Parts: sequence; structure tokens; C-alpha cells
Amino acid sequence: MRSNFERSRHALFAAIALAGAMVANAPAQAQATVDVPRLASGRPDFSGIWETLSEADYDLEPHAGRRDAPPGPGVIHEGTIPYRPEALEQRQRNFAARGEKDPRLRCWVLGVPRGVYYPAPFQIFQRDNDVTLVHQFGHQVRTIATNGSDHPVEKGQEFWLGDSRGYWEGDTLVVDVTDFNPDTWLDRAGNYHSENLHVVERWRFVDRDTIAYSATLEDPKVFTRPWTMDVLLHRRRDLGFELIEDYCNTVEYERYYPHKDGQ
Amino acid sequence: MIARRLAPLLLLIAVSLPQAGIAQTAPAAPPVSPRIPWEKEVRSIAEGPWNGPRLPDGQPDISGFWSNTIANQSNFTDPQAGDPDRPSAAFRLPRNQRAPSRVTDPADGQVPYQPEARALQEDFARNFQNPTKPQYVEPLARCAPAGVPKSFMWHGHEIRQYPGYVLFLFDSGTRIVHLDDGPHLSDSIKLWNGDSHGHWEGNTLVVNVTNNNGKALFGYSGDFMSENATVVERYIFAEDGKRFNYVATFTDPTVYTRPWTATIPLRRFTEADGPMDWHYMVTPVNLPGKQLLESPERICVENNGVFGGGAVGVPSDRPIISR
Repeated sequence: MRSNFERSRHALFAAIALAGAMVANAPAQAQATVDVPRLASGRPDFSGIWETLSEADYDLEPHAGRRDAPPGPGVIHEGTIPYRPEALEQRQRNFAARGEKDPRLRCWVLGVPRGVYYPAPFQIFQRDNDVTLVHQFGHQVRTIATNGSDHPVEKGQEFWLGDSRGYWEGDTLVVDVTDFNPDTWLDRAGNYHSENLHVVERWRFVDRDTIAYSATLEDPKVFTRPWTMDVLLHRRRDLGFELIEDYCNTVEYERYYPHKDGQ
Repeated sequence: MIARRLAPLLLLIAVSLPQAGIAQTAPAAPPVSPRIPWEKEVRSIAEGPWNGPRLPDGQPDISGFWSNTIANQSNFTDPQAGDPDRPSAAFRLPRNQRAPSRVTDPADGQVPYQPEARALQEDFARNFQNPTKPQYVEPLARCAPAGVPKSFMWHGHEIRQYPGYVLFLFDSGTRIVHLDDGPHLSDSIKLWNGDSHGHWEGNTLVVNVTNNNGKALFGYSGDFMSENATVVERYIFAEDGKRFNYVATFTDPTVYTRPWTATIPLRRFTEADGPMDWHYMVTPVNLPGKQLLESPERICVENNGVFGGGAVGVPSDRPIISR
């Protein structure tokens, strides 16, 4: 069980996350008047295929255009990521090696929150007790439990996607994600985290075809304080659009099958 | 987490790279015994009306965890005979004391290959134990999607249902079945899991699978379809909701002499069973007052890079795509 210290720390963090989200989302408030799809239970129904138009995956921070990234205004509420000094050095090493070291280049799971704003579609399937995110890129599938359960009792587990537990605050789905491993990045620019990462996501309709997504990241080993990013997710409405599997981890050997010599 | 637990299991089927070749099975390892005995019979389940529970959208409610009942993917047509060139103890028994062939049509239990295709399948089976070329490595050992129909012959899986969709979560790959019969992707797109559109007929989910790339193979014996194959799957659910038979008809004029049909029997797993090896790899849900089990994330490649990847030509330390 969590200690009192941890409990109060989490409460403080949640308050910071909420405050950040409220400020960031202020222009798009008035949820009660938004006509959105709903489940029979009355909860907002995020089912559908979604994708960001943002440049977040190229670099979460504000950046001019460069060889491997279009320009982007940045998506971080505080402007830049508040790295600890030694962590900033690691980030700079990551940036220098990004053309080789970015886990996406191996088609590995992108993690949370990166999978959400990676520029490829993902499909949300939603029931009362869980929300399932199937990402087109690679083989990433995430379940957000919304059955009232908490993170696993067994601590120290390191999941590629973390462990996601969601609950509703009105029409906002709030997801607490913990139990990460340190092996995923946050973007192509080498922004990163440790196994101590704790993410609080907030999913909310702006209109029936747009989701306001925010994620507040806390990681005392890497960041000096929690920080929040905001991106919009747009419904893919192309005629007849469906996900096309993209198991790109197979590209190096697929030429040998079925029963082929690879020539 | 689940994939980390997969690792030792995969090791048994998977790949190391000794100098003389690549062993896909660990020679000294004892066989893994599932806690439930493999069944020798395949129970027949008739197609008909569905009288069991339904979801609000009218679909039969068959959501939950399922796994196969007779054998894994080691041998397609003699499921309990063991790997190619590594016969099981049951192999010494008369044939009718082992589970029947998964091929239920034609009646001889054999895939009706054209001669060239038969030669390719036999060549793979001959080389499976000591694969000296990349094409002899069973692709599941590299964390490739298990595809159609192999996904139903190894680890357990979960079915989730939604209005308009049936979703299959496998340990290697995910399948989205669109309940719309509606247009398939362009013929030029070939996929490990194909493109699945279907509908319900009473107790039977009927799925047309097109756009197959044919790369997944059907297991260690090297049985296969090509990128020209289409598959019609019929998932026939028993009235008590505890079983289903996966009955799939394969049509591929470039590989087979005629369409043929495979039958794979599966059973449901619930909390009452408790966690069970690879059939039902689940962990407790932290929800006081409820005794629920759930599946942690299903991830193969990242957790198996050394033997599922690097050893057989899938670098885990350098880029493999440039996008």
C-alpha cells in the first residue's frame, strides 16, 4: 500500500495536473453543451479512429524546421520540459543519436503518452469497464481499465505501456498510468523519462470529431517538476477508412516467407 | 509482463544461433506440460440459432478468454505427434488414439497441395530442427504475427466485442473483424492477419479474410497458404458459451488442388479456472471485493530481442525502418 507521504504527494500531483489541464483547456470549456457520442451508460463514447495533426512526435518542445522535422510550436503548457541538469545532458545525447537510437526506428512500442500523438491512426474500442487502444504502428495495444480497479498490488513491474487505470470526472476520462519501464522515448527528439514516470491523461471531447488530450508527466528522477502537454486528436473521416496493420518489426525477414529464399 | 513470462516458453520453440545452425527447439528441454491435458476428441458443434446471452447490439456475447484444446502449432495434420523429426510419446500410439488432423475436408486429413507446394512444405519440415537458411525459421519465433489460422493454435487469446466489431487480442498480433461485409482493402495490400469483414449467422461468426500475405505459416510442419489465398472462417459457438470450433475454408488455386477446411477446437477460460500456463496468462485485478483476472500487456518483440530477433536477423540495436 502507498505510504501517507506517497498519498499526499500523489494528491498534490493530481491537483497540479488538474490545474494545468483547466488552464490549458479553458478556451474549449462548456462541456455540458457539447453534443458528443455516448455509451448507453451516458459516458462519452470515444470509439473511432483518431490521429493527431500536431508535430508533437517530432519534438514536444518549440522548434524550427530541420532536416528530420517540420517546424512546430511545441505542445508543452510550460513551454519546455523542466529537466534536471544531468537529465538534460542525457536528453542532449539522445538528440544527437536520434537517427539511430529512437525506439520507433525498431518498430518497438512507442509507450504512453507517445503512441497517442505519433502521426499514425489508432482506433479506440470502448466498453463500460475498459477502453482499448489499437495503434496502427507496430504491435501496440493498450487497455485502460475503467472498472474501478487500481494499479496492481505487485509493485516494481515495468510495463512497456505502463499500467492504465481510468475514471470519469464528469465527461472527462482521467487515466492514471504507472509501472513503466525506462526504455521508451517521448518523441523523435530524444525527450525521455525513467521507470519512475507517472502520467495522468485527460481525454475530453471538444466536439464529436475532436478530442482534447492532455498528459501531465511526473518523474522526479528526470524532471524538476510535473509538466503538461496538450494535443488535439482528430477523427479520421476518410471514406471507408480502416486501420491497416503495420507490423514493421517484420520487415527484415518477411521476404523469406512463405518458403522463399529471400531473393 | 505477460511477454516477459512468454520468454521461457518461446525459448522452447525459438531460436538460438549455434555455429552449426539455428535450433528452433531446445534439445535438452523437457516438454512443457499444460496443466490441463490435451483432449483427443474434437467435439462437434452444430451451426444453428443462438439462445445464449446477447450484447445490447444483438451480437451473441462471447467475449472473454479462449484457448485451444488439442495441441499447439507443432504439427498441423497430426496435432499430437510432436514436432517434425521429434515425435512425441503419443506418436507411438495408433493414430486413432491421438487427436485427429485439423484438416476435416478432404476426409484423408491432408492439405490438398499441388506437387510444388507439397515439396516446399516438406522441405520446411525437414529443415525445421536445424534451419540453415532464414526461410526455415518458423516466423513466430521472430515474434511475427501468428496470422490465420495459427493464432488459434498457440497461446490463449481474448475476444472483445463492440457494435460493429469483434476484436481478437493475441500474444502475437491483433485482429479487428469488421461486422459489415463491406469492401476489402485493395488487392495490392498483403497483410500478416489479412483484412477481415464478417457477420453473425445465429451462433456462428462468419468472416471473410482477404489480403493475406501467406507469410505466417501454420506451424512447425510448414503448412501454408500463399498471398493469393482467401479464407472463410466460421466460428461456431456452443450454446452453453463454453466452447467454439474454428472452421476455416482455404481457397488458393496457386497452392492447393481444391478448397479445403480446417477445424480447430477451443474452450473458454474464466476466473474459476485460475491462471493456466500459456492458455490463460492472467494476473489479479486490484479491485477489493472482486476476484477478477486480467491480461497484462501482450508484447513479444521487445522482450525477446536476443533470441526472437537478433539471433535470426532482426537487429534489436539498430534501425530497421527509415520513416
